Amino acid sequence: MSTIELPSGAKRPVVKKSVDWWRWAGRATLTFLFLFTMLPMAWMILTSVKSQFAAMQYPPQWWPTQPTLNNYFKLLDPGSKIGRDFLLYFWNSFYVSLLTTILGVVVAVPAAYAFSRFRFPGRNFLFFAVLVRNMFPAVVFLMPLFLLMRWMGLINTHGSLILTYLTFGLPLSIWLLKGFYDNIPIQLEQAARIDGATRFQAFLLIVMPLSTPGIIATSIFSFIGAWNEYVYAYTFLSRDSQMTLPVGIQRFFTEFATDWPGLMSATFLMSVPVVVLFLVLQKYFVRALTEGAVKH
Amino acid sequence: MAEIVLKDVVKNYGSIYAVNNVSFTVEDGEFVALVGPSGCGKTTTLNLIAGLIPMSGGDIAIGDRIVNELDPKDRDIAMVFQNYALYPQKSVFNNLAFPLQMRKLTKDEIERKVKDAAKLLDITHLLERKPRELSGGQQQRVALGRALVRDPAVFLMDEPLSNLDAKLRVQMRSEIKRFHHNLNATVVYVTHDQLEAVTMADKMAVMHGGLLQQYDSPANVFANPVNTFVASFVGSPAMSLIPLDVKGKGTGVVLQSSEGWELPLSDENARKANRSTNGKVVLGARHSTLKIHKTAAPGTVPAKVYTVEPTGDVTFVQVFINGAVVNVSLDPGTPIAPDEEVFVEFDQARLHIFDDATTMALQAA
Repeated sequence: MSTIELPSGAKRPVVKKSVDWWRWAGRATLTFLFLFTMLPMAWMILTSVKSQFAAMQYPPQWWPTQPTLNNYFKLLDPGSKIGRDFLLYFWNSFYVSLLTTILGVVVAVPAAYAFSRFRFPGRNFLFFAVLVRNMFPAVVFLMPLFLLMRWMGLINTHGSLILTYLTFGLPLSIWLLKGFYDNIPIQLEQAARIDGATRFQAFLLIVMPLSTPGIIATSIFSFIGAWNEYVYAYTFLSRDSQMTLPVGIQRFFTEFATDWPGLMSATFLMSVPVVVLFLVLQKYFVRALTEGAVKH
Repeated sequence: MAEIVLKDVVKNYGSIYAVNNVSFTVEDGEFVALVGPSGCGKTTTLNLIAGLIPMSGGDIAIGDRIVNELDPKDRDIAMVFQNYALYPQKSVFNNLAFPLQMRKLTKDEIERKVKDAAKLLDITHLLERKPRELSGGQQQRVALGRALVRDPAVFLMDEPLSNLDAKLRVQMRSEIKRFHHNLNATVVYVTHDQLEAVTMADKMAVMHGGLLQQYDSPANVFANPVNTFVASFVGSPAMSLIPLDVKGKGTGVVLQSSEGWELPLSDENARKANRSTNGKVVLGARHSTLKIHKTAAPGTVPAKVYTVEPTGDVTFVQVFINGAVVNVSLDPGTPIAPDEEVFVEFDQARLHIFDDATTMALQAA
């Protein structure tokens, strides 16, 4: 017990708690955005388990009365033509996206490291040029790239797509990774070099492991970018056997009449790898995007 | 172990000279502190010795090799960084093992050496932890351990204590000193804290503006600073400097203030003052050589008290003399108050007289 006395007659002013309108505005915005993104997804999944007839009904059947997985069975059955095609497109997409991702990392990692660590003539200009690419919509490059690809004899090859996706993916990858390397203290490399490592070993053994979250995040970005891309795949490829999923699905299901449930189940299957990728790697992803914000 | 020789070392970025013609020798087993304010070139000098940045000119020898062209890994050095630079993804054991792994030692040897180093620094119980799970002092020890584990010729330390809190800093200061004593290691130690340099080093290299100002034992630097920069940088509180005019000739020389009073000089000091290039000098005096009188006496000059700072053991008083701030130390309990008019007496034998134009200490020829 202390013997301290508060001043006699000291008042406790009443502090009024006002409604925090900003907080409520924030919640409302988030709710709206959630519905905005989730409702189409929900509709996609609901439609994919309907029959063709139920999907076309008017007034619309909101909740499928007789849900069926037939559409999925058809798509995943290698015995049927529709299944064979779908799985081929799926493989094409996967293979193009994976190569884009791997090549992207192989190029972006050393480029970002160089932008972060070395002072060379034209460094600022080059980095600026890399970012400027992102200021133009991808469609602007459609004709020039088509002519370029034709000149190189790459039309109707997956190589044309991989090169194009790299062109669009690399600026973001390099920019993200540079931020990452900027945050890794240069003293770590200096210590490694004094401890007996060459410059390359210091990079490989010390810096690379520390930038794993950044590499994973940029990989997700380039994979998704390549996976979802439509316009270039549609323009550069004309053979059925080469189609990637976005183009393949669209051509396939709208050739004679639109098979909505089939289209929706194919779309759903197409989104599965992306969702899985995100769920598995999201902690790296969040770390990559917030890393720069916190001082160590 | 080895000596280090720097000869005419230059590092410039275009027209900016970070290190300008610096030469000094660190003897085998010596502890040398590179000291100066930020931007003086001390860390650049250390990085040049380490080989982390290329030199623009001059030579550096470690032991019997000229290392100018050698990679850091081939210079047989170890370095402790200000932020410790522990590898965050590696355990303490693997941090200590890394330099040995890079030198392709066998697993058994690595294990033995890491355990020995850990024992020496009392971090054996931390070997399995990651650096982020350690306190600042523990990280500091691990950084030291990583430096000494492979028995290098030279230890380089870049402000290793400046990230620690005040109490820990004092403790680690004596530990590093002890570590140097036990290993008889050659150490080059960078610090901006002159107190660290004075307390730890055999010799100190005071740097300013990329130039080496003075290279000598701390006692000599303290007793005979070569110029006003060194005088005002070394010592705490710093040496007080008062600009004055030289009047008179021969033995009748006095220093005259713009306030009108005159300070007679001893014979030796008079001869020093006579050598001033422009008839003006800067008078330097350390706080402990000054006395405060309440009344005017011969040889005293008028002053006005600005602040009084009791520290327990000693009370520091700042007074204004001829517009300059002058530190005086007093016994605690001496009655004195701000704005009081007092008189300050100088100890002629321990006065420093610097040339006003060149800032260099004047010698009685």
